[in-house]
Amino acid sequence: MVKDAKPPARRSRPAPSHRLGVVVVEPLAVVRAGLTMLIDDRPDMHVVAEAATAQACVDGLKRLRRTRIVVLIGVGLAGERDAFWLIRAVRETHPSAVILACGANADAATVSRALFVGADGYVDKNVDPVDFLQSIRAAAEGEVVLPGEAAEWVAPIADGIDRRRDLELRLTEREREVLAVAAEGLTAREIAARLGVRERTVTTHLGRIYGKLGVHGRVSAVLQAARSGLVSVTRAE
Amino acid sequence: MPARVLIVEGHPVLRGVIRLACDGSPALEVVGEAAEGQDALVVSAEVSPQIVVLDLDLPDMRGLDVVRELRKRPRPPRVLALAARTDDRTLFATFRASVDGLVEKTASVAEIVEAVERVAGGSRVFTADHERRAIRELGRMARSARESTRVSALLTGREIEVLQLLAEGLTLHQAARRLRISPRTVETHVRKAYRKLGVHNRVQALRQAASLGVVSIG
Repeated sequence: MVKDAKPPARRSRPAPSHRLGVVVVEPLAVVRAGLTMLIDDRPDMHVVAEAATAQACVDGLKRLRRTRIVVLIGVGLAGERDAFWLIRAVRETHPSAVILACGANADAATVSRALFVGADGYVDKNVDPVDFLQSIRAAAEGEVVLPGEAAEWVAPIADGIDRRRDLELRLTEREREVLAVAAEGLTAREIAARLGVRERTVTTHLGRIYGKLGVHGRVSAVLQAARSGLVSVTRAE
Repeated sequence: MPARVLIVEGHPVLRGVIRLACDGSPALEVVGEAAEGQDALVVSAEVSPQIVVLDLDLPDMRGLDVVRELRKRPRPPRVLALAARTDDRTLFATFRASVDGLVEKTASVAEIVEAVERVAGGSRVFTADHERRAIRELGRMARSARESTRVSALLTGREIEVLQLLAEGLTLHQAARRLRISPRTVETHVRKAYRKLGVHNRVQALRQAASLGVVSIG
């Protein structure tokens, strides 16, 4: 690893407690290491914890004593406890933390979803490192950070949030659960087994969901829920 | 070829001044004027402007509704909004309507014409402050959307029904009759709803429920 000729440790740095603490959550080890190096190289911020999974982040945060932190969450975090689950969880356990979703090639639907579940913004991994760090600082100051110009992004993101909100207000919590499992492609019997209820109950829930969403089948219900960011539909890469 | 401009402004003096200034620019040609929204839609259909300079506070309809109508046209014009008020919510609504630029009415005539020219040249014209404030409002909107779904998930369907009836101005007894349940039961629903909403009286409850979008106040 080649670094600057100047030894960075010689620079006068503020005491660690005055520096902005950043938690880096990113499944890809190399990306995580890169982000950590980039942040640690700055005099005004440092990485206080790293995590590769949602669980590791939750555990890491429990050990942290400081409150002024920025949690950088890579949206590539997949599985049942994905990035959006984690954003929601951190928002609940650490209301004053600044949460930034982070990913490459952002689309408005992903940003809407991140903001809805509790993120304070979204930074694009593709931007220049200087801008990337500036986004972290802006977020720490209480700004909402978007991956591009407001004129282009505000309208589609707001529309996405409205869709999600309307959908959630229409469905009960149980119906949302059923829909989320249905999105995995399970049959009614399998859904029933997973949720520990009778198959008949599941078909009743599904019927109500179709009625509320104004659709006639499972595929359209799942598609609508996916468009609103309520469920993740796994795509082949 | 100069860009064809339609000026929609309720105030006759301001309209005249903007027209004169635009006519003085080689890049612009004023092809029409309107003082009201309905009129603007009619004139716009006749002269098919490339740019509409639009007062957001028109006497007959909301400026942003005019934008939405114009957007439905086969070849929608670009829109530069003129705003008297620029509070965060107004800014946010303007960004959501996807206008191409926004200038405050307190701007000088030269600044307004420059903004029209830039919009004509294909740029979007917003100040950094306007962008920041619109984005901040987006953050608030996301928070309130999250909060409303959280609270509505706590409330049962019956509790929401009862709150909605109270919001419509019914008394407890009237609500009970409407739902064919006893007033005692209605009271229980109301009490539970208060607890979930974290409030202590009916006014607070309705205000909270309405601001979360759980009920609508007629």
